[in-house]
Amino acid sequence: MSILLETRGLTKSFFGVPALRDVSLTIHEGRILGLIGENGAGKSTLMNVVDGVFPATDGSMFLRGLPYQPRSPADATGHGIAFIHQELNLFSNLTVAENIFVDAFPMRAGFIDRRSMRRETERLLASLDLEIAPDTLLDRLAPGERQLVEIAKALRSNPQLIIFDEPTSSLTARETERLFEVIRRLRDEGKTLIYISHMLSDVRALSDDIAVLRDGELVGSGPAEELDTSRMIELMIGRELAQLYPPKTAAPGRDPVLRVAAMTQPGVVQDVDLEVRAGEIVGLFGLMGAGRTELARMVFGLDEFAHGEIRIGGTLLRGQSPTDRIEHGMAFVTENRREEGLLMESTIADNIALVSLASYARTILRFVDAPKLSAVAQQMADDLQIKAHDIGGQPAKSLSGGNQQKVVIGKWLMRQPKLFVLDEPTRGVDVGAKYEIYSLMDRLAREGSGVLFISSEVEELMAMCDRILVMNRGEVSGEFGERPFKQDQLLRAAFREDLAA
Amino acid sequence: MSTIESGSAPAQVGSKGWASPVRRVLLSEYFVLYLTIVYFLILLPFLPTLSNPQNLSNVLSNMWPLLAVAVGQTLVLTIAGIDLSQGSVIGLTSVVGAALIATAASSDVLSNSVLWGLVITEQGGLFAGKSWAVPAGIVAMLLVGALIGLINGIAVALLRMPPFMVTLVGLIAFGAFAIFLTQSENIRNLPDAYIALGKGDIVSVYLGEQSTPQIPRRQIYSFITYPMIISITLAVFAHFLLSRTMFGRHVYAVGANRRAAEISGVPAKRIIIQVFVFSAVCATIGGILFSARLEAGRPTLGEGTFLLDVIGATVIGGTSLFGGKGKIVWTFFGVLFFVLLSNTLNLMNLSSFHIDMVKGSVILAAALLDVTRRRLLAGGLA
Amino acid sequence: MNRLDQLRSQLLRNSTLVMFVLIFLFFGLQEPRFLQPESLGNIIKQSSFIGIAAVGMTFVLLTAGIDLSVGSVMYLAPLIAGFAMRNYGLDVEFALVLAIFAGLVMGAINAFFIVVLRIIPFIVTLSTLFFFRGAGTFLTQSRQLDFPREVLDFGLARVLGIPLPIIIFALVVAAAFVTLTRTPFGRHVYAVGNDINAARKAGINVDWIVFRVYLISSACAALAGFIVIAQIGRLDQSFGEGREFDVIAAAVLGGASLFGGVGSALSPLIGATMIQTVKAGLIFNGTNLYAQPIMLGAVIFAAVLFDSLRQMNLQKSRRRFIRPIQTETEPAERNKGPRHPAGAAART
Repeated sequence: MSILLETRGLTKSFFGVPALRDVSLTIHEGRILGLIGENGAGKSTLMNVVDGVFPATDGSMFLRGLPYQPRSPADATGHGIAFIHQELNLFSNLTVAENIFVDAFPMRAGFIDRRSMRRETERLLASLDLEIAPDTLLDRLAPGERQLVEIAKALRSNPQLIIFDEPTSSLTARETERLFEVIRRLRDEGKTLIYISHMLSDVRALSDDIAVLRDGELVGSGPAEELDTSRMIELMIGRELAQLYPPKTAAPGRDPVLRVAAMTQPGVVQDVDLEVRAGEIVGLFGLMGAGRTELARMVFGLDEFAHGEIRIGGTLLRGQSPTDRIEHGMAFVTENRREEGLLMESTIADNIALVSLASYARTILRFVDAPKLSAVAQQMADDLQIKAHDIGGQPAKSLSGGNQQKVVIGKWLMRQPKLFVLDEPTRGVDVGAKYEIYSLMDRLAREGSGVLFISSEVEELMAMCDRILVMNRGEVSGEFGERPFKQDQLLRAAFREDLAA
Repeated sequence: MSTIESGSAPAQVGSKGWASPVRRVLLSEYFVLYLTIVYFLILLPFLPTLSNPQNLSNVLSNMWPLLAVAVGQTLVLTIAGIDLSQGSVIGLTSVVGAALIATAASSDVLSNSVLWGLVITEQGGLFAGKSWAVPAGIVAMLLVGALIGLINGIAVALLRMPPFMVTLVGLIAFGAFAIFLTQSENIRNLPDAYIALGKGDIVSVYLGEQSTPQIPRRQIYSFITYPMIISITLAVFAHFLLSRTMFGRHVYAVGANRRAAEISGVPAKRIIIQVFVFSAVCATIGGILFSARLEAGRPTLGEGTFLLDVIGATVIGGTSLFGGKGKIVWTFFGVLFFVLLSNTLNLMNLSSFHIDMVKGSVILAAALLDVTRRRLLAGGLA
Repeated sequence: MNRLDQLRSQLLRNSTLVMFVLIFLFFGLQEPRFLQPESLGNIIKQSSFIGIAAVGMTFVLLTAGIDLSVGSVMYLAPLIAGFAMRNYGLDVEFALVLAIFAGLVMGAINAFFIVVLRIIPFIVTLSTLFFFRGAGTFLTQSRQLDFPREVLDFGLARVLGIPLPIIIFALVVAAAFVTLTRTPFGRHVYAVGNDINAARKAGINVDWIVFRVYLISSACAALAGFIVIAQIGRLDQSFGEGREFDVIAAAVLGGASLFGGVGSALSPLIGATMIQTVKAGLIFNGTNLYAQPIMLGAVIFAAVLFDSLRQMNLQKSRRRFIRPIQTETEPAERNKGPRHPAGAAART
């Protein structure tokens, strides 16, 4: 087992603040290394140093025993190192082939040699079992396919070491499985891989070795067999986490807050019935494309539907307007914080205040009672323990994922809604912040709100919900009302049609 | 200062410890005002006439119509739109108003007009001679302006057409419609009460001989005038609207992220429509001031580079073309800067050929200073 | 119902073409002479002016920029060439080259402020709009400039019976087409307009791409200006004033987006000829001179409206494929849960 890359005492500081401290890590050839750690633990910094994005402040690296000091990502590529970033670096208005060759088009007689580009692309895609025509516009591809295109792009330069940063955060289960097959096959072909992820189960399933970073330090590493999940978590957060989930303290009441009957939109959802009672957390489980988000959007008045009824606390809601839904006591934490949840450039206080402006507007001109509003927003930020030094001056984009999510939740809490719809609220949030969000959900229920909790992570639904509905291709394919839930039953319902086939 | 505008964030983040005076000026909200003052002071030794009361009164009188129009543009830019149709609104409403309230008209000039015989005759416009003619005419103008704004707003908000194209079409089509109405002629003979809106004084200054029995008219310099009152009132109203009301907060939210705003219950479509209507109404008010000063309704009133002055002044003031960021105060300074710029170029006795060249250079220099300032700002925060 | 839906989406998808045909039919039925080759040739010839400049503008729009200075470049570049012809007896061909070179210099000025000093294109080109025109009026002292006679021989020349402006327009469009589709520069222009940060990360020299785009825009505007001047033989002080909007409208009408990344070399061709067709048609059927721009505005409005409806339709049809289309097939025996964030595949 030869060593491909070795770092010795790597240290990196930004403006005097250390992001990496004395990291000495050995990466063995032909193996998959899982690199884990909370947000800000230094995973990306370490990999950026390896990729030549910026140099280390101190320490050295050796590639196959020779000193290695990459000056740029291009230099790293030249040394056989490819880095697949979390955010895909692709262009939706170019073809698959063009995306793969965007930084080095094959040329003939002064023009792009499209034939050889196509041929080469076909070869790369075939090696990933991807059946897409090279001339397909990227825009037409599903997220999973795009991820594979990015990998094909990385493979173009025939790298020896491939680094993946959170590659599965936008993939379906099937796409993830396929990606894993590809990664394993690359390993079997002799390549070395580094796999960075939050998803501990993914890392477990995939890795040969595991390394854990905390606060810029390497706190543990070794063969995967020697680290079980609880040990990994312990290393990551630096203390023993008794539980991943808070104890449930709320008990469902009797009165339904939300009642959806026979909701139908051709091609999207069919005859969905749904009830959420006060103090109850109802889970909505299903695969990607099962129609959960679509259902939530219809309930919240964002998308149209053909038939069906929505009642909040007995009142029949008509029309299609989020404003009206909010007035009836609904709140919607969308799956997509950046595009739909926050005004990233605006201050935290402005974000928290946005939904409840009407309650602080005075006189016919609707002047906003700014002092009172900022006091209340500050109170909310303190209550939720949002880590910010100045909520009136700091833009939302300066916060970490978990704190951003708290801002979104806080924004809705200001109105004390009767019904909370949370769509993937823990996505892209680290372990510690996840726990806080679960606790918040429990608190909402305890204070009498109904919660509709949409998630693709079956474990968190099983831990937090009083009842779980499973959707499959736009229909409710199963309802489970008894705790403890059985995971295989939930999954069976989610895959219903595939079982029948 | 108020802390609620999204644009005010950077000024507050900076810690006070290191703020040298230079930095403080650069970081200030009033940067463009300082720039204007510095520009004024630098040119003063070379252009002594600059500080003459007559000239100052001139600068001010040029400022008010532009300010009224730019206030509307500020709101539109803040929701990440743009309103190019303002120019045609000015021309069209000035024609409509003049046609209704003119006290007489010459058939030699206007007999080809589509309005001839219907709205306007030798005896003047439809409202001519009525005691309520001027207010009614103004209401009609505002309605026409608001209608154009409504069309723009509906096209942008409901039909999701790009604002640039919608209002560009508006600029071409409504401008052409104004010309079509009068077949490219001006409508004169406006009532005195209307003309006073563009020229009327409230406070004037006479600095000549005190013993003169009769003061020559051209030695009286107006400082507080009707146009000033009208424009400032409009600007103050818009300032409070934008910075203190729920509507203003919604405007910023829509400009920053329309989708997120809609999900948070902001009635984005309504806000967009209202903003476009407001912008067109502001343009109409600017048009009233212009046409009253000109003593005529002129279909080509807002044509040419006027619109670029409006957008240029607003953007130099600091309002972003990409939405989410804008302030009336900034626009006020931007307009002041632009008007002073034109004025100094005239005073320099440059042949008209030089003016465009110097104007272009100064806008660029101001933009360059602004970019430098922002870079310093970003550097200071990192 | 379903068939009707399909028809509607088909019509929307090809709305530009449909509008083109409708416009031709509308004017052709009123006045059959309108459809004769001669008048069609005239339309293309007249559209070459805005069209050539719009080709350059398309490059700029593709990178999500804007160039407001083209109207002034159209004025100043031929002016410089005209001076050289009058004062130094420069030949027409060299004068053309000189005009283009002058355009390149003006483009380089724009690009310098945009790329090196990082001022937004709107403000830079707004300033140079004033500056270039000012430089022109300074040179001419606001007088009209008469070009030597030979320039008309050049401008009104025909090659194989085809008027020179049409040939140049065709060459410019063809060159732009090949550049945009077959060269790394062209593809990088699209990449920059799609996501400028991603382009930087992909190692594309974004600054140099953007720089060249403004060179091209100004060079095209200079060429367009010279071609028109060569047909009329004199240069008025107001030549090109306000044309920046016509040029932008032509590119956008043909399908280029103001937000970058969308459009092709055919956009300016389609847009400019469509506008010119309407203009010519309105003259043909004797519409009041002052009413013509109103009709033109209405046509542009309709084209933009159809484009938005098409976009909205597209979004809807993408959102729709959850149920009927097969999505996930997964072995049920899998014992690990699907843990991954889901959501609408099609919503972006």
